[in-house]
Amino acid sequence: MMQVPGEVQIIKEDNVTHSFCGLACVGWLYQKIKDSFFLILGTHTCAHFLQNALGMMIFAKPRFGIALIEEGDLSKSEPTLEEIIAEIKADHNPSVIFLLSSCTPEVMKVDFKGLSEHLTTPELPVLFVPASGLVYNFTQAEDSVLHALVPFCPQAPAGEKKVVFLGSVNDATADDLRAEAEELGIPVGGFLPESRFDRLPAIGPDTILAPVQPYLSRVAVKLERERGAKVLASLFPFGPDGTRVFWEDLAKAFGITVDLREREKAAWEKIRQQTGILRGKKVFLTADTMMELPLARFLKSAGANVVECSSAYINKKALGRELQALEGVKVVEQPNFHRQLEDIRRERPDLIVTSLMTANPFVGHGFIVKWSMEFTLMPIHSWSGVFTLANLFVSPFNRRSKLPAFDEKVWLEGVMPSAEQVQ
Amino acid sequence: MRLAFWLYEGTALHGISRVTNSMKGVHTVYHAPQGDDYITATYTMLERTPEFPGLSISVVRGRDLAQGVSRLPATLQQVDRHYSPELTVIAPSCSTALLQEDLRQLAMHSGIPEEKLLVYALNPFRVTENEAADGLFTELVKRYSKEQEKTALPSVNILGFTSLGFHLRANLTSLRRMFRTLGITVNVVAPWGASTSDLEKLPSAWLNIAPYREIGATAAGYLGERFGMPAIHDAPLGVEPTRRWLEQIVEKINVIAAERGLPAIALPPLRAFSLDGMSAPSGVPWFARTADMESFSGKKAFVFGDATHTAGVVKFLRDELGMQIIGAGTYLHRHADWLREQLAGYLPGELVVTDRFQEIASIIENEMPDLVCGTQMERHSCRKLDVPCMVISPPTHIENHLLGYYPFFGFEGADVMADRVYLSCKLGLEKHLIDFFGDAGLEYEEGAAEHAIVAVSLNGEENGAQGGGSGALNAPDSGADGMNWTGEAENMLKKVPFFVRKKVRKNTENFALEQGESCITAEVFRRAKEHLGG
Repeated sequence: MMQVPGEVQIIKEDNVTHSFCGLACVGWLYQKIKDSFFLILGTHTCAHFLQNALGMMIFAKPRFGIALIEEGDLSKSEPTLEEIIAEIKADHNPSVIFLLSSCTPEVMKVDFKGLSEHLTTPELPVLFVPASGLVYNFTQAEDSVLHALVPFCPQAPAGEKKVVFLGSVNDATADDLRAEAEELGIPVGGFLPESRFDRLPAIGPDTILAPVQPYLSRVAVKLERERGAKVLASLFPFGPDGTRVFWEDLAKAFGITVDLREREKAAWEKIRQQTGILRGKKVFLTADTMMELPLARFLKSAGANVVECSSAYINKKALGRELQALEGVKVVEQPNFHRQLEDIRRERPDLIVTSLMTANPFVGHGFIVKWSMEFTLMPIHSWSGVFTLANLFVSPFNRRSKLPAFDEKVWLEGVMPSAEQVQ
Repeated sequence: MRLAFWLYEGTALHGISRVTNSMKGVHTVYHAPQGDDYITATYTMLERTPEFPGLSISVVRGRDLAQGVSRLPATLQQVDRHYSPELTVIAPSCSTALLQEDLRQLAMHSGIPEEKLLVYALNPFRVTENEAADGLFTELVKRYSKEQEKTALPSVNILGFTSLGFHLRANLTSLRRMFRTLGITVNVVAPWGASTSDLEKLPSAWLNIAPYREIGATAAGYLGERFGMPAIHDAPLGVEPTRRWLEQIVEKINVIAAERGLPAIALPPLRAFSLDGMSAPSGVPWFARTADMESFSGKKAFVFGDATHTAGVVKFLRDELGMQIIGAGTYLHRHADWLREQLAGYLPGELVVTDRFQEIASIIENEMPDLVCGTQMERHSCRKLDVPCMVISPPTHIENHLLGYYPFFGFEGADVMADRVYLSCKLGLEKHLIDFFGDAGLEYEEGAAEHAIVAVSLNGEENGAQGGGSGALNAPDSGADGMNWTGEAENMLKKVPFFVRKKVRKNTENFALEQGESCITAEVFRRAKEHLGG
């Protein structure tokens, strides 16, 4: 265990934990960017992961696939993907192919940059997206996808002051964010990513980048460096508190002063019943999707007692405001799951926000649990997302209270023959 | 290199973890990058394990590789401290296998005694799920089984039952019930629920039962060679195979009883195997003979799956339900020869051996069978084609982990299979009525269904998408393959029952192609109808 220097204390551990690799982002991004194809250069493991863990069932011809490295390919110096690209082109005619790396070709030292440049044609760019589990966690490869899209964002001229929202959200949420900005008098340049490759937003020196997902620090830095764009340093627009600060800060960046305290109060009022349930509850976030910090901050504002907020990776700059708001909360980067288990047994939190892999066993141990992945797939942004966000945390409590008493000795008998005994 | 979307078999790592997740006191440590322990979710979500599966990851980061750091020793120590397993299996994943590290040496740095560690490093580019599971299980049996006194009374081991197995719990219950009825004790079930000390006492049973060709058969072979234990490798799939299986058990047990000077056991009356103990143990023999099931005889079935289930289901459909088998196949290349032997005389052509689901989908599309027995993937392929399909084989899926008792093995298993055939196919008097009158009033339902879709699209927000959807529904009627149909031929086609219409269209077009016709006229349609037997 080591201490990371800085204002807010972050405990850093050894990352012996349960979470997904960067390929997980394919699950939502292929649906978001509708004229794209996601090609993973990978192995049987990558294919098995996508079809099992993400429950991605193939109905017809999906817009993602694996260029499967088989034994015979290991001895080849460079993979030949021409035929596969031709097949994808014939079946889907995409505007862009994202070529995702995975662990095996990384170990093989495949030159992905050279490979993608070689495969790119003027009509069909093939963009390299680093996503392997050797480096990237769960949502982090979305950062890589956006990174790859930067050269295709038109240059916005100096003086064109607009906001570009950073991060994939569903179309309805995007419409909400746009409408809200326009109502505040903030001109909207678009979203990165948009739902089509050929509609990427213009970005220039007077663009204000407003990150709406907390795991996109690299693309923000790149746009700052290459286009001179400014990145909004605020809270993320989750919950009444985060949403107010986000919009007020964004407006301020456009020289507009707004006071949204009444709006925030009304939003809290709308979820009074939910915060009533959350108040004083001990909540433990085990680290999974990298959305943990803003979620923990909302919980804290809602009156919950966040006993641990762990995350796979914490970018202190991008998450600076969130870290400040979390002052007094135990924040852990790359946590150790075994240590967390011990702490959880001792602290007995009322709610554990955790991965698909660990949720049911925690329930088996008598805890109330929420799947962390749900927060990446639900519309929880801004004012319109407040209700959904609060309900996600509260629904496990409500459901538990409706179920009859549970005698573990009776109802868990024989459910898990591999376990010695249910304690 | 090929473009893959979906694979029937899982990885070697998946096979390894299926064995260790089945066992008590055995842990797996993946030496792998972040995310390769996604497999844990298959246990916690499909089997809904109320405990943490014995699976940990010693995360390999790119930075560690650059710096020559390994977290394996520390992870092993943590696992030892938190779970105190009797055995930890250390397995590399596909990427870390390429690093060619000496995992044994690395593991020794943990200070954990060597007898508590097993490095199981397979070539993940060659070995997949079933072979890895079978291999590791055999390895563990070799490691722990010890010469033992035989149990005083007749006993069996049940081998090959493994976490995430197909209808595993119900099959095991079915077998346990039959052994109870026979008066035979179950000595050990493995790997499901077994500890290393259970493996130690495997040789004390009189007989090994290894019904799965994929997992457990090799271990049973080893126990035979090493300890002279007899084994039964057949799977009790279907009524007659179950009877033969029971007779074989009685026979083998009695050989040992005679050697030991103990009284022979007898096969009790079959009624004793029924759920209530006072009726026929299965409804299948009578069901198959009833007059309304006459329509089974002409039904054409295609079967695809692993080796065990494909063999059993082909035989069941033909031998016990009197159906016609138009083809069968497996995705397990390794067991193709065995399956060919099993199905000699059952198939009109070659056994299909492929792990590409698209090939199976196109066979189904061309043949349009009356029933497909396959995996979850065939169920999806069939749904698109309106072909009846029942799932008879792994890979497992959340729908194979239902709460009710649906075994495939034993007499009850035969009933479950027959029920599923019945519910999947369109059979009986109802079928005749529909055939004879064309729509039998069901045309209305089809229309109603279309209305329902329109209503959804009006209520829903995604009007455009839904509109596109109902357009696509109509598309096949206008000649999907580009073959022209005259209006008169189309009208004739409309008189064919709607649920076979796609099939008749396809068959007619195939016939026309063979005949060198480019357009389906009423005359071509009539000829096709004659040729294809109505």
